[in-house]
Amino acid sequence: MTTPPTGFLEEADLHAFVDGILDPDQRRRVEEHLAQHPEDAALVESWQRQNAAIRAVYEPILREIPAPSLRSAAAQVAAPSGTIESGATHWGRPGVLPRVRRREDILAQQRRQAIFASVLAVLSVAAVAALATFIFAGRGEHRPITAASAPQGYVARAGLTYATYVSDQHPVEIDASRLEELSSWLKARVGFYKVPDLSQQGMRLIGGRVAPGVAAPAGFLIYERPDGGRVGLYFERSVATISQQASKSGSGVTAIEWRTADFAFVLIGPLSLDLMQVAAEKAAAQIIGASQP
Amino acid sequence: MSNYADILAELSEATPVFRRYARALGAGVGLVVADGLVHSALQGLGARLRAREVTPNDAEAARIEAYKAITSLAAHKYQVASGPGPRHPPIVHGLAALDFTDRAVLLLVSLEGFGYDAAADIAGISRETVFMRLQRARALLANWTANSGGIPQVSAARSSAHLRVVK
Repeated sequence: MTTPPTGFLEEADLHAFVDGILDPDQRRRVEEHLAQHPEDAALVESWQRQNAAIRAVYEPILREIPAPSLRSAAAQVAAPSGTIESGATHWGRPGVLPRVRRREDILAQQRRQAIFASVLAVLSVAAVAALATFIFAGRGEHRPITAASAPQGYVARAGLTYATYVSDQHPVEIDASRLEELSSWLKARVGFYKVPDLSQQGMRLIGGRVAPGVAAPAGFLIYERPDGGRVGLYFERSVATISQQASKSGSGVTAIEWRTADFAFVLIGPLSLDLMQVAAEKAAAQIIGASQP
Repeated sequence: MSNYADILAELSEATPVFRRYARALGAGVGLVVADGLVHSALQGLGARLRAREVTPNDAEAARIEAYKAITSLAAHKYQVASGPGPRHPPIVHGLAALDFTDRAVLLLVSLEGFGYDAAADIAGISRETVFMRLQRARALLANWTANSGGIPQVSAARSSAHLRVVK
């Protein structure tokens, strides 16, 4: 703040007072002025009230735990495909390391990426094709899942849960007409019971169930669109050691993963990325609203 | 701070405040979009650090670079973002009604605790412009909340003049 002429205060001094950037002498001078000028004191108080209102809304965000891949974003090398359009669908992309890396590590990583890029592309196409076949064929060859082949990430687990239940004749254990019972069950077994309302996105809740999770029981809600397409919301108490996975979008199936309130959530369904992202935003907003006091 | 690893560690530690700023700057934007913005901004900053296009000398300088990246990216990305909904408190609607740079300056100073010089650096404007925008943002926000039945405020007209002598 520039020092005003002795005995005078400018509005800049009042803003600087509110913003806490005055030295002790200047601060005392403003305080004396405010004690003698209630109109200016009220003005200052209104600005302080604005600041308090803003902080009250946004300070709780500091208590949320950011995804590990978000914390290490600056260390990540951008995907060769180009600009990131949506962080949610890119968190935890393969090759992202959750630790801080040195320059040599990053250069080595780039070399490895160049060598294995074509191999990864082939494997990715094969994985998506297999998932799509499993989902849409309805009755795939049932092979027992061994510990070595079991999916470890939440997106992979959500995909498996979706494929298992979505086309079943009885996809849910408790239907939407018994919402209170469903919530109580999910609360007891999974620890989270808020059932987002996605009706504005044209998704009617069918019901939900408890399903095997990666490290704990998971909740799985199924919504249905007027065209018969079904969307699943998978959630499980998140474990820090399990990094977020790149979301899947291929062969008509899109999955978006996010984490909040100590839980990992995955919205998965046969819709476009745009529609799924809008629905995910809606669900996330309601979940945040439910988890805040 | 010239050590690249130290800078990355600082940015990692500061991720929660970056998320808060991105969410507030979006004024009603969803957490997925806001976190995506932070992710993209930090990833872009990381690339510039590796290319030595930016070389912050200390932790504060690294944080400021991150805020610059978030602000710059948000100016484009948030143009098409959805605004606040009925569940958002009045102050968020008031923030959404502000010009983007006015909102950024207000949040940098009021929420993030930056001084006017740092806010000017982050927003890419002069210190004088920071003060002008801060004054305008507070006046408009007071006016908006008073008219919308939000927080009781002193009339915005009281603070409409730039550098008004009050004594």
